[in-house]
Amino acid sequence: MTVKVLRRVAILVVSLLVASIVVFLFMAVLPGDPAQVALGVNATPALLAKTRAEFGIDQPLVTQYLRWIGGVLHGDFGRSYVTRDAIGPQLLDRLGVTLWLVGAGMVAALVIAVPVGTFAAVRHRKPSGVTVSGLSQIGVAIPAFLAGIILVQIFAVQLRWLPSGGWTPPDQDVGEFLRGLVLPALSLGLVQGAVLTRYVRSAVLDTLGQDYLRTARSKGLLPGQALFRHGLRNASVPVVTVLGLQLATLLIGAVVVERVFVLPGLGSLLLDAVSSRDLLTVQGIVLVLVAGVLLVNFVVDVLYTVLDPRLRGS
Amino acid sequence: MKARIHAAALALLLVVSGCSAGSSASVASGPDTLSVGFTAEPASFDFTHTDGAAIPQALLYNVYEGLVKLDASGQVVPLLAKSWTISPDRKTYDFQLQPGVKFSNGAPFTAADVKFSLLRVKTDWTISVKSAMDVVDHVDVVSPEHARVVLSKPSNGWLFSLTSRIGAMFSPTGVADLANKPVGTGPYEVASRRRGDSIVLRENPAYWGRKPAYRTVVLKYIADPTALNNALLSNGIDVISSLTSADSIPQFQGDTRFTVVQGTTNSEVTLAFNNKRAPLNDTRVRQALTYAIDRKAVLDLVFNGRGTLIGSMVPPTDPWYEDLSKIYPYDPAKAKQLLAQAGVKNLDLRLRIPNLPYAVSAAQVVQSQLAEVGVQTTIEPLDFPAVWLKQVFTDHDYDLSIIQHVEARDITTFGKPAYYWGYDSKRVQQLLAEADSGATEQQVADMKQVARQLNTDAAADWLFLYPNVIVAKTKVTGFAPNQVSESFDLTGLRPR
Amino acid sequence: MKTRNGNLVAGGVLVALVVLAALVSFAWTPYDPVQVDAPDRLLGFSGSHLFGTDKFGRDVFSQVMVGARTTLYVGVVAVGIAAVIGTPLGVLAGLAPRWLGEFVMRVNDLVLAFPALLLAIMFGAVFGADTLTAMVAIGIATIPSFARIARSGTLQVSSSEYVLAARSAGRSRLSIAARHVLPNISGLLIVQSSVSFAIAVLAEAALSFLGFGTRPPTPSWGRMLQESQELLTAHPRLALVPGIAIAVAVLGFNLLGDGLRDRLDPRLAVRV
Repeated sequence: MTVKVLRRVAILVVSLLVASIVVFLFMAVLPGDPAQVALGVNATPALLAKTRAEFGIDQPLVTQYLRWIGGVLHGDFGRSYVTRDAIGPQLLDRLGVTLWLVGAGMVAALVIAVPVGTFAAVRHRKPSGVTVSGLSQIGVAIPAFLAGIILVQIFAVQLRWLPSGGWTPPDQDVGEFLRGLVLPALSLGLVQGAVLTRYVRSAVLDTLGQDYLRTARSKGLLPGQALFRHGLRNASVPVVTVLGLQLATLLIGAVVVERVFVLPGLGSLLLDAVSSRDLLTVQGIVLVLVAGVLLVNFVVDVLYTVLDPRLRGS
Repeated sequence: MKARIHAAALALLLVVSGCSAGSSASVASGPDTLSVGFTAEPASFDFTHTDGAAIPQALLYNVYEGLVKLDASGQVVPLLAKSWTISPDRKTYDFQLQPGVKFSNGAPFTAADVKFSLLRVKTDWTISVKSAMDVVDHVDVVSPEHARVVLSKPSNGWLFSLTSRIGAMFSPTGVADLANKPVGTGPYEVASRRRGDSIVLRENPAYWGRKPAYRTVVLKYIADPTALNNALLSNGIDVISSLTSADSIPQFQGDTRFTVVQGTTNSEVTLAFNNKRAPLNDTRVRQALTYAIDRKAVLDLVFNGRGTLIGSMVPPTDPWYEDLSKIYPYDPAKAKQLLAQAGVKNLDLRLRIPNLPYAVSAAQVVQSQLAEVGVQTTIEPLDFPAVWLKQVFTDHDYDLSIIQHVEARDITTFGKPAYYWGYDSKRVQQLLAEADSGATEQQVADMKQVARQLNTDAAADWLFLYPNVIVAKTKVTGFAPNQVSESFDLTGLRPR
Repeated sequence: MKTRNGNLVAGGVLVALVVLAALVSFAWTPYDPVQVDAPDRLLGFSGSHLFGTDKFGRDVFSQVMVGARTTLYVGVVAVGIAAVIGTPLGVLAGLAPRWLGEFVMRVNDLVLAFPALLLAIMFGAVFGADTLTAMVAIGIATIPSFARIARSGTLQVSSSEYVLAARSAGRSRLSIAARHVLPNISGLLIVQSSVSFAIAVLAEAALSFLGFGTRPPTPSWGRMLQESQELLTAHPRLALVPGIAIAVAVLGFNLLGDGLRDRLDPRLAVRV
């Protein structure tokens, strides 16, 4: 098993490296000159040459790449072509916001999916259960940003219970921070929750058919009690795996939700950087997001390896 | 086994949610704190190197001050200069300075700083508006409270330009890190910034003038207009500095919690014609397009009828304003006739616009109206600022464009043949030069003629003048309805 | 059993609705969907404008019809790209020597790390965002799911007796792929197409909402939603109509996928 995990680690490292090259090359083929973008309408040939040298973009691509990736490994993502600020600290700052959002979205998804999915499974032959699974189908079909727009309209604009957007750091005011996180997390979580509900339902259905539950029921426990005492832990195994895969989806979904709720996360930084053609920043963000997805996939893979007895044996 | 999986999942979630939540911009809330929402965020604090309206909007008059400023009615009034005199040949300006003024870093403000700041524009600034300072020949420090500026030729525009960022006063001790640590003489200093979110201004304790009513002002940056509206509706901010769409006005007007202040801006929403490129180099074609567009309908659809129809590049707050909006009435038949006269058929033009809400809206209306006189257009939204500035503004690769020209008195751009209009009229250039050097009456007369000439030539189509619509909580007052300067002037705001 | 058929029927009906709207829009729409009309702006539901008009006075019903076209267009091209590239890749990876197959799948995982939205934003930055960049980006991002399904299907089929027999009879790998593998995994691929289609519809909507998709004035449900945002309080209809249209399309393709999966091969049915 150790060998398996080590192999996964090696694959992860190679994948990260290749991904960084792909991202770098992709940005390198972008039409347009970062120096020109930085100087805007004030560019003169002399100033352009000076700025190019300053950015290091007059060097061969290989040199540029090595310099960039060397810095990234030390947490130095270079300086923005547009604002001239260091990118690394900014990425970290924004990543914090995005991760809070993703984490809270995940929690919201679980809070929705576990009870609803279980209910749908236990009642799978009754109209109420069928209705719930039908609703989860509809939930999957609603884009997260639409859910966000509707939630803002109801809870922020009409009822004024929660802020419509914006970000309060948790170390500044925990109450405000949590209030601000509710709606964005819900809009991410509703859709993911609907997806997850279907997995929870099927996992619980599988578990319900198992012998030990029948035994438990024959001891006189009600179906709900039996399931709660013995079944949920077993049902959670496949769900946890799916959850991991959904993390990646959430990370990208956050890009859109951040836009709706004006959260200063990686997604809004990405969109701003694209529209100001701040390529080095775009490059950094894309790398971080891609690395995030790869890492999540890695963890899920390792979980599989640990989980599956057949894989463990070989 | 199961316990391990739970632990792993838990660890993952902890990693996910426990990470750095970022540094915080500490914001106190209370009666002396004001939160103002803007759409465009400054890329840095250094307007000597970075273009864009967002930086002076936040900093000018609030953090930086000049010798003079524009008051709410558009008049040049004293600020750091108590008074000034102009020599009879209109070339020598003598400024008497306010005594006892200090920069926020403690350095005193004297005539030496005036000389330093004005000459620094020529040597250190890189943005294109710096050319306004070319006319300065030299600056003399007569005494610590008396600075004399000598121009190489008379220029009315020069004194006016001192009311903009060009005139901001810097200290030699405060220019080391302009991008992050601005040092000015204004009533506020920058306390903190959270990129992508906000800038916090704090009262400058050593301010020489009247103390501002709000000790802390949070400038909140919310690019999406709907999100900005929602922030005000849900108490996230106190003021929207300028609405970018009129569709939300009724919902504020119908609510006693809010007041809506409406006035004019310097911002002409302009349909630019590439005057150099065939067939738009033919005056008849440009006139035809001007007849084909129903500007009243454009204004109704894009800004719910708010805003002003102008007909040339002059806002009503300029001394030489005349209403020229009725000269080209909406007349599709006339448009078709002019196109036929010019021998133009099956016109297909590229309408390359910045990817901004008002431009995307206006473009769709313009496209639909031009289609009715047989002129096809392809809308190409370009990322703003980067791509639009490069391709349209710098490389002149466009037929039509729609953008707000926000700078004060930017009618002078029609005197520059290399500007992206591609408009080259000797008469206009001569009139502009004459206006700049002449006495006030001459200036006004000449500028009126320029405006009329531009209208006659259909050098562009001024769709409408962008309205200044401020929405604020009723408890905040003191707003100037008209936006005449580059600054969102916080100094007049106070609780009701 | 009853609900499974129900999935197929419900999905089929919803998808047919979208396809019908798109097809009819080529021949007829109640109004010109891009014609602005100042006096008729922001009309409500009525007989003459079934779904009312938007802030430019354009007929929303006509826009929804033409928007269906945009949605299907993006979906067809994106899924087409993914299927045409992903399927042969997966089949070959399944038939190839183990190490090569593994390698292809590792590359596949790498592509999987570039989600559609991210890829489309990157493409938009390079080539200028429009429908084409959105379609290609969504297509590329969808390749891995086809490759994965095709490979696992191929591995399954390859170990079956008739393929082993064909192989021992000296048939080339290509001919085995064409004769035995493809027909056997086509069901799986059709199911995957339907599910991917639903994802593509969502992705296009999100991209247009962010301004990285279909350009104005071409009607697109995502952009209709984005343009309606400001009017949400006064005219919620403007967001509801395109929102429901998106939900109908996504729901339709998802249900169709589920139904087809059950119908084509009950053994493969994952009960979710």
